[in-house]
Amino acid sequence: MLLRLLSWPYLKKHILRWVLTVAGIVLGVAVFVAMHTANRSVHNAFDKTVQRIAGSTQLQVYAGEFGFEEFVLERVQNVPEVAVAVPVIEATVETGIPGQGTILILGIDMTGDRSLRDYELDSAEDSIIEDPLVFLAQPDSLLVTKEFAERNGFAVNTKIPLLTIKGEKQFTIRGIMSSKGMTQAFGGNLAIMDIYAVQQVLGRGPRFDRIDLKAKDGVSLADCRAAVQQALGPGFEVEPPSSRGQHFDALMGAYSTATSLTSLFALIVGMFIIYNSFSIAVTQRRSEIGILRALGATQTQIRRLFLMESAAAGMVGSALGVLAGVGMAFALSVYMGTLTEQVVGVAQRVDELALEPWLILAAVSIGVGTSVVAAWIPARSAARVNPIQALQKGKYQMLSAGESRRRRIAAFVLIAFSGVCLFFSTWKPAFYAGYVSVIMAGLLMTPTLSLVLAKALRPILRRAFPAEGTLAADSLIQSPRRTSATVAALMLSLAIVVGFGGFSDSIFDSLNEWIATALNPDFFVGPTANLTNRSTTFPAEVGKEIEAVDGVDMVQLVRDARVIYKGTPVLLVSVENEKLLAKVRRKPLAGDPEQIREMTSSGRGLIVSDGFSALQHVTVGDLVEIPTPSGMLKLTVAGVIRDYSDVQGAIFIDRSVYIKHWNDTTVNVARVYLKPGFDSEEVRKRITAKLEPNYRLLVFTNAQVRDYVLQLTDQWFSMTYNQIVVAVLVAVLGIVNTLTVSITDRRRELGVMQAVGGLRSQIRRTVWLEAISIGIIGLVLGMALGAVNLYYNLGMIKRDLGGLDLDYIYPVGFMTAMIPIILAAAFIAAVGPAESAVRGSLVESLEYE
Amino acid sequence: MIDLKRVSKVFEGKRKATALENVDLQIPKGEVVSIVGPSGSGKSTLLNLIGGLDRPTAGEILIDNESLGELSDDELTRVRRDKIGFIFQFFNLLPTLNCLENVSLPLHLRKWPRRKIEDRAKELLNLVQLSHRLDHLPEELSGGERQRVAIARALSVYPPILLADEPTGNLDTRTGEEILRLIQDLHSKLGSTILIVTHDMGVAEQCARTVRLRDGRVVEDRSLSHRERVPEGRERAFKPSPGAARRALPKGEG
Repeated sequence: MLLRLLSWPYLKKHILRWVLTVAGIVLGVAVFVAMHTANRSVHNAFDKTVQRIAGSTQLQVYAGEFGFEEFVLERVQNVPEVAVAVPVIEATVETGIPGQGTILILGIDMTGDRSLRDYELDSAEDSIIEDPLVFLAQPDSLLVTKEFAERNGFAVNTKIPLLTIKGEKQFTIRGIMSSKGMTQAFGGNLAIMDIYAVQQVLGRGPRFDRIDLKAKDGVSLADCRAAVQQALGPGFEVEPPSSRGQHFDALMGAYSTATSLTSLFALIVGMFIIYNSFSIAVTQRRSEIGILRALGATQTQIRRLFLMESAAAGMVGSALGVLAGVGMAFALSVYMGTLTEQVVGVAQRVDELALEPWLILAAVSIGVGTSVVAAWIPARSAARVNPIQALQKGKYQMLSAGESRRRRIAAFVLIAFSGVCLFFSTWKPAFYAGYVSVIMAGLLMTPTLSLVLAKALRPILRRAFPAEGTLAADSLIQSPRRTSATVAALMLSLAIVVGFGGFSDSIFDSLNEWIATALNPDFFVGPTANLTNRSTTFPAEVGKEIEAVDGVDMVQLVRDARVIYKGTPVLLVSVENEKLLAKVRRKPLAGDPEQIREMTSSGRGLIVSDGFSALQHVTVGDLVEIPTPSGMLKLTVAGVIRDYSDVQGAIFIDRSVYIKHWNDTTVNVARVYLKPGFDSEEVRKRITAKLEPNYRLLVFTNAQVRDYVLQLTDQWFSMTYNQIVVAVLVAVLGIVNTLTVSITDRRRELGVMQAVGGLRSQIRRTVWLEAISIGIIGLVLGMALGAVNLYYNLGMIKRDLGGLDLDYIYPVGFMTAMIPIILAAAFIAAVGPAESAVRGSLVESLEYE
Repeated sequence: MIDLKRVSKVFEGKRKATALENVDLQIPKGEVVSIVGPSGSGKSTLLNLIGGLDRPTAGEILIDNESLGELSDDELTRVRRDKIGFIFQFFNLLPTLNCLENVSLPLHLRKWPRRKIEDRAKELLNLVQLSHRLDHLPEELSGGERQRVAIARALSVYPPILLADEPTGNLDTRTGEEILRLIQDLHSKLGSTILIVTHDMGVAEQCARTVRLRDGRVVEDRSLSHRERVPEGRERAFKPSPGAARRALPKGEG
């Protein structure tokens, strides 16, 4: 009843404020829904690709991305519990068709595979359906999906180009699969090929990626799994297809955490906007509350009135937020999917949104919950309004000295607590407790610090604009509560931007150093433009061919791919150790350089990256067990180096060890060093000319690889730029909200200013200056809190996300760029309120109370 | 000096409300006029229209032969800041500015040099006998003192017209009399044209001319010569004093 009687008219009167309040919730909920949905969509797209391709496969035999030799298939097939076991190679290949990008090639053995997968051909050469041997007999055969064929206007017998290791080759579509099951994997960009043809295309040699199998009827999956594991040894993983999703999740862990942090941040920011709106509503409706209290309303009724208003705003905001979030999610998931494919080289394609009902429910609950929590303190203040004081005319909004003192004391206690936590920061809970405490202290100190800064700004503003500047500063000084929530939201946004910006600066700095010292060859020769795609390899003989080119000093062969280490996919890099150490002189973070050389070259030791060391808690002297097709490889950690090859860290072993245990001589990348005095472009041309007749290999210059790595990192950090967008949005939303109220509060004051001769331009300037002052205060506090936040962020990254030990670099350039952005945002936010300040009736303004 | 020709003001709302209807009024330079009438008779509306705070629905208002109707908002503001000083019932001082700053405000808005502003503000506060309260905030002053600051602010550029809306309405009798004496004193020194809106007949009787409004119309316009009675032993506050105009003007801008 009270809601309809009192809240509705207030809402109608202050519709703009309500729009802004709701916008705060919309922002928080939308980012939450979009981030989560995009994450799930990418995960589901991967899962879907896996599941659809798996068909009726019950278990998959896997030994990391390096694959294994063909004889393993026979061993699996000989296990009595296994009914069917078929080999699979799965790789993404560039299509050479304009606009189609990559296609997922599934290499299978058509003779046995149809007992696991149904290819349901829509149209095909009859002979294919009747006799799979016809398919085998023609190594250029392809089956494509109906979607892919329709999208490109292909039919049976159309020839399509694929970029293989041997150059661009034409393949013939022998059949088109109907739009069911498997064909929806990888967004329909799927082609089936004979596995032995795929080996040729990808330059793999006689190896398979995995074996898909089905247990015999009556044999339990667990028994079958145990039997296969027993037959193959511990170097192989025997898991149901669904477990690949877990590996994917482990790879995406850092990114998921970053997105979760962004959505959490958006919610907190939304909370501040709501808090601000309700605090202001309470102060403005003080006399209304006073009248209600005088008429007999209880404190509970008043509190409930405000909480119900906030819940209603939360409902509306959440509903709109869910809609906006879903709208944003698709674009975001496509973007994240592409990024995932490029950065971690995992094939998936997002073609539908994974919108879960619980998420909508959770989003609405979070939206309403956040709204009610944010309104709790203002509602409590409303309930405590003294009816006598409330009915007296006069100024309000003053922050009581007692309240301010309590906040300050609480802030100091929290700072002291976080200081104590620093001494015990090796213990995870203490580290995070310290982090939360220091941020909370910052928030509690915001009103006091805003006041101090506003007072410091007053003489400066007064000097520049005696009338307008003084009034703008006084407006802030007079109503710290009106300003502080906006400043707090802005401060928090900027602190997080500093954290991300600092992280990005530090990592770029370290990356540059890493590139300069470790990635120092003149050329990198590889099979694909995507250097993280490790599914295509080439023979080691290529190295000799390159080395024979005039001007080439040295060629180092590299084979790298992911292996599963304790359930996490980590990058295993095999290098020609002696050659590498001759050219790369890096000081290890741990371990003696001589001992490292001796142990790794002799095949007794390995090197790990700092990320691997931190995430897996291993250091020099520890034993690391790596699964290989020929059993578990146990090597001692000889040294720890700084390396950024992969988000989950990397292990480095000598190439001889790799060849011995994986029985594979293929190569991903050849690192080429030139002799001094040779023209690099000339040598490059010579290498290309030499390789061209036999191989399609790309020769990248050092600068190209450097740009590629930096660009990839930049994409990975795109979240930072999202943060900036959110920070600017917060600045605009918060400042518009604060100014709208400020202008209402100061209507009389601005009226007086006009009455005694203030021109409209001068009134506008007052409002602009107030907005810019809020921006300046937010910037100062945000940069200060950001310095602390960055410290904790780097700790968090070292501890839990990627294990990187980064130098503390305050992002000075980054924040310098933020100054005009925030000030411009503040100014833009002030334009509307400033106009409304000069548009109203002067007479009404002078009578306003 | 002030010339109103068939001025009307109608407030458009859910219901139309006519605040003034066809008001004709001429106020010569240096005259002190009280405007009286019951609540809702249009007194404050008339003052707001003359002060350029609002615009008439019909008719014409001329200040020094310049029609306000043809001016833009900013031109109107310029007329207001050069020719008109306002004194409000609720003082309308800015609570965060001290006395000196409140008085300085209109001068800052006119972009006077800082030094000159301070000299003038001090001079004005001295004129209203508040030179000992320069650094005080409005909340630290009594009602009478606040009104003195407001008067000093209204006089900042020594405007030829002073508009006072119930200047004593928010003050006790004694303080009200003090303020009235101050205005009287200033009039004799500066010779400004003064319009006082009041419902206090005691205040009205002090003025040389009284205009009575009822339902938005002028129902009576009495000059000193028509006045029937002046309380015995009490000197009339405001007399016509054209010659006194700028004699006692303090140094500085006029």
